[in-house]
Amino acid sequence: MEQIPLPSSLEEVQNLIRALYQPNHPDTISQIQDVLQRLQRSDEGWRLAQDLFQNREDNIRFFAVLTIIVKLNRDSAALTDDLAKELLSTLINWVFQSLAEGSASFVVKKLCSALITFFLHFPALWEQSIRHFVYCLDVGSAVPVEGVDEKLPTTVLVEGLEPQRLKVAIWFATALVDEVGKTDMNSAKFMPVHEKTVKNGPDVGCLLARGFAAQEIQSDTLSCFQSWILYAQRVPLSTSGVLLDPLRQLVALALPCFASPHLFNTAAELFSDVLSNYSNFFTPEHYQALFELLNSPWAEQQYSQLIHGKNHEEDGIAFGVLLLAYGEAKVDELMKSTSQSAQNFLSKLAGLLAADGFMVGQDHIFVPALEFWSTFAETMIDAVYADDDDSLVVGWKSYAEEHIKMVVSNCWRKIQWPPLDLYSEWDSTERTGFSDARKDVADLLQSVHTIIGKTLVSHLVSAYQAGVNGQNWIEIEASIYCLAALSDCIAEDEGIDGFFNQVFNAGFFKLMAKTNTGADGDLAPYRLKQTGLQFIERYKEYFVRNPHHLFEALSLLFQSVNDPVLGSHSARAFSSLCQSNGPKVAGQVDTLVEEYRLLRENRQLPLDPLAEERVILGITCIIQACPKGEDRRLEVFWRLYSLLDEDFVRAIKLKEDPALLDLDDANYQRGVVVEGIPGPHSNWMVRFNHQLQQYKQTAAAQGVGIPSGEIALQIATRSLRCLSNMARGMQDSAEVNLEAEGGRDRLPEDRLKLLQTTIISRMAQLRRTFPRSSEIADCVYNVYRAGFIESEPGPFVFPPESVVDFFVVQRAENSNRAGDPNIMTTPKLGTLLSTACTFVGSLHGTPDSVVRPQLARLLPWVISLLQEMGEPESDTEVAQNGICFVQRVMTKYPDLPFMAKPEGILEFFLGFAIKVLGGKEPLPKGAAADFWSAFMSLKPSYSSTSPLSAPEIQSLVASVMQDVGPLVAQTLMDNIGGNAARSELDKLSDPLKKLIVNHVHAQQWLQAALFRDDFPGNKTKTLGPEDKMLFLKKVVGLRGARQTNTVVREFWMACRGANYAYAS
Amino acid sequence: MALCQNRLQEERQQWRKDHPFGFYARPQKNAQGVLDLRVWECGIPGKEKTIWEGGLFKMTVTFPDEYPTKPPKCKFVPPLFHPNVYPSGTVCLSILNEEEAWKPAITIKQILLGVQDLLNDPNPESPAQAEAYNLFKKDKIEYEKRIKRAVRENQAP
Repeated sequence: MEQIPLPSSLEEVQNLIRALYQPNHPDTISQIQDVLQRLQRSDEGWRLAQDLFQNREDNIRFFAVLTIIVKLNRDSAALTDDLAKELLSTLINWVFQSLAEGSASFVVKKLCSALITFFLHFPALWEQSIRHFVYCLDVGSAVPVEGVDEKLPTTVLVEGLEPQRLKVAIWFATALVDEVGKTDMNSAKFMPVHEKTVKNGPDVGCLLARGFAAQEIQSDTLSCFQSWILYAQRVPLSTSGVLLDPLRQLVALALPCFASPHLFNTAAELFSDVLSNYSNFFTPEHYQALFELLNSPWAEQQYSQLIHGKNHEEDGIAFGVLLLAYGEAKVDELMKSTSQSAQNFLSKLAGLLAADGFMVGQDHIFVPALEFWSTFAETMIDAVYADDDDSLVVGWKSYAEEHIKMVVSNCWRKIQWPPLDLYSEWDSTERTGFSDARKDVADLLQSVHTIIGKTLVSHLVSAYQAGVNGQNWIEIEASIYCLAALSDCIAEDEGIDGFFNQVFNAGFFKLMAKTNTGADGDLAPYRLKQTGLQFIERYKEYFVRNPHHLFEALSLLFQSVNDPVLGSHSARAFSSLCQSNGPKVAGQVDTLVEEYRLLRENRQLPLDPLAEERVILGITCIIQACPKGEDRRLEVFWRLYSLLDEDFVRAIKLKEDPALLDLDDANYQRGVVVEGIPGPHSNWMVRFNHQLQQYKQTAAAQGVGIPSGEIALQIATRSLRCLSNMARGMQDSAEVNLEAEGGRDRLPEDRLKLLQTTIISRMAQLRRTFPRSSEIADCVYNVYRAGFIESEPGPFVFPPESVVDFFVVQRAENSNRAGDPNIMTTPKLGTLLSTACTFVGSLHGTPDSVVRPQLARLLPWVISLLQEMGEPESDTEVAQNGICFVQRVMTKYPDLPFMAKPEGILEFFLGFAIKVLGGKEPLPKGAAADFWSAFMSLKPSYSSTSPLSAPEIQSLVASVMQDVGPLVAQTLMDNIGGNAARSELDKLSDPLKKLIVNHVHAQQWLQAALFRDDFPGNKTKTLGPEDKMLFLKKVVGLRGARQTNTVVREFWMACRGANYAYAS
Repeated sequence: MALCQNRLQEERQQWRKDHPFGFYARPQKNAQGVLDLRVWECGIPGKEKTIWEGGLFKMTVTFPDEYPTKPPKCKFVPPLFHPNVYPSGTVCLSILNEEEAWKPAITIKQILLGVQDLLNDPNPESPAQAEAYNLFKKDKIEYEKRIKRAVRENQAP
């Protein structure tokens, strides 16, 4: 595109301005803008503005005024006072010219902005800007500032203004306070501006009083008034009263605006805004007047319109918002008042929660009203708990409680679900809004419970019973939703059991069992059942105390686990209830395992995998809770495991022989992968069937086989996940321990061993069948981990030697030993090593004689994995966990690393740990820093099983340090000298401290490192040798004290110099 | 201390008046049912149109006495699989770090929105847990599988 040349005549400039406001290509517009801006900024800018303004076209005049603003902001310093005064006169005269010639209002408003820009730059030249401007408007031409007749009061001046000019004066006053308000109140630069603005207070008062008297200008006057009040709140000088007094006097003039329908919204916004944000602005008289207004017959009419259907649009709730803002400003007073008028007012506010229409989408006032009542409830709690003297509370509390009860009753009605056809018309915002409002109600109920306690519970239980009697599922749902909301407050209180017995005895379980959700997505029963399941889950403590209902609850949950919509919710509630109540239903465990078996056999589609995992977890928790020392426990375990084992075998066989696949067989359908989340809007069954059909169709259309390998893997994975949940479920919980009979488990050893061998070999078989599956590997590691945490014998508590056997055959996928039949490759080497770390940590109770030989096998294996990985940072997880493993072993058995075979692996490892310490990856680097801290401060104690004595080990450490010390010191100094990220410094300070405290040559090594040619800090020119020496002196002198970290940080910053930046 | 309480009162009110859809944040209640403003229970929904959509992740926000001079600590309960979440569940985010981008003016709403952004937009410069970080860098497919599972396990009601 051709460049636009600089215009050479006024006409050309005007043409450009015209073009600027024409529809045009963005590039053209931006080019025109560039040219015009260059003109505006040039020395000729002032002159250009003058010439342009003589044109009557609005756009050109607008641009002329804009040019003045640009020049003022750029070049005002160059103006002498006289020139500035001349400019002020010109601008004011332009106002008159524009008014006389009928310019558009945007030109006049822009002129007001230019005048205000002038004021911001020359506040001293235009002290009483409003009075002066009004004076000029009165006279009809620009008068010098000093030419204003001081004897004429502003009231008289404004009195004479005709409406058009009055309007301009109010625009000016509004823009003035808005613009001044945007400047920094605390900056010295703008202090004079604010001082002068505040002094305009009395003049603004006169101007606005006149504005309120002129009907056609009242709306502009209200907006101006609002701007000045909010400015008065923010400006610190306003306390003088110069500004506040005149503004306060205007309130009485603003109140009548409510009566005018077209001013109502503006007035309501002003008063609501000030009540919410600056309630001190109003005096007691104002509050009284406002209160009378809000209780007038006019207000009654507004209220009735609001409640009955006029609140569908945001505008319609202005009156309600005003009522609430008044209530919030006076909440304490209203709450503690027993007067009839206060009671009536609070009743109205409670009534706002009962407007017509469903909340949020149709009823906009509900949520703001709920906010008010939350504040009310919390204020009440504060007051009741703060006053030790009950007599102070007793007078008003019962009155306030009555309102709270009304609020609860209104909320209970409001949270009821709409009919399905209406709900399905709502958009996602309305739906989310509805659910969010329900949660807000739940919050409020918790506060209400603090105030009225069991009265609330009793009320809700009665509402539930009434719902049951009337067979009104919507009311039943609302009641149990509200009761569920209170669980955090009352679940542990046995005092509620009487109430809850009423719920559960009143056919709760039968009702829920009858409620079938089906696949057609019928919302009503779905909601009821979902809430019912949550209700059970939240009150699991109740079932601990009342086991007679427990099995009913579990059965209900269990029956729902294969529900396509609610399955995962039911299963979660089921496992949660089993975890806390295992021992109470231990007698029923056979039934549950049998029901699970039937569920697998008889259902029409596979369980949602997540639901199945939770069910398995729940049942295993009950198995674990069975009395110890009984064969039965192991038997039931075996039965449950066998069901999973069938899947394992099926998966392995299918992988070997794809012809076995039969997608009409539910056992194979378990392998259909269904992505995504089940829920009300996304039905599990629908998606399952869809996926199943796709498998079949793809196979038919493309003439290829169904991906049997994928299905085999999925069958194996989901059951292996179940197995890892069994392992979790078999973990001993403290609670179960207390109730366990017979102390230590006396499981028949041979059977246990057989079981363990079966599980171990099956897991190994699965790993070999699906060697590349991360999920299979993860699950297997999780099973092992779950056993590590246990101290009692159990099916997953494998002997240490078996665990080590499992570890030492594994290698990375890219290992050069990958083809070796004795080797198993893993896609999750990092996780495997982290599992090995957990294993070392779990050995504390095991005798040394068992542990030592096993760790002596594991240590070389771990180091050999590090040797195989090539670059230490090629897999950060392996590097981090490998280092962490060696450190754990070394801390417990300091001799083991020194005796590790084959020879040289310790040296390799130390070199590796130095390299990682100097690397870029934060996590392994952190592990390396920890390792070196531990190594350098190794303090072995006497151990009868160690072939090396403590002094021998110490001398080995010293000798190693003699070799590697200089390199460790250098790596640390390179980090602290700028290579490390700031967030790593604390971690790196640790090994530095240990080095200084424990090694005599530390200072010498550190000095050598600091004065190397390629020390990173050398890049900063300002860092001299004396800085390095000072740092060295400080850190060495601190002898490992905590302040070392601060010194390190300062030195790091000095080394980074100007390039310093947050590196993390 | 008073400053901390006042600010938290203010935050509570602001949150009630204006909070983003799908989130929740409420102070915990003590044994008497009175609010403890220093510990909040929050829920962060996964963003729409990301793999996190549909999940709602529970997070505890603990405010120190020096708040708002010092930032609160955010911790996912249970810990979340994410490169910038420590194995303990604590979130590693610059706006929550006193030495980095924390400013006393940052509101609870901004913090929660910041954590929500972090979910789908991890910062590989500040890894906090090895496994998620490693998968994020080396195996996006496996990483996303894990996230989808986390979403399923923490499904929004």
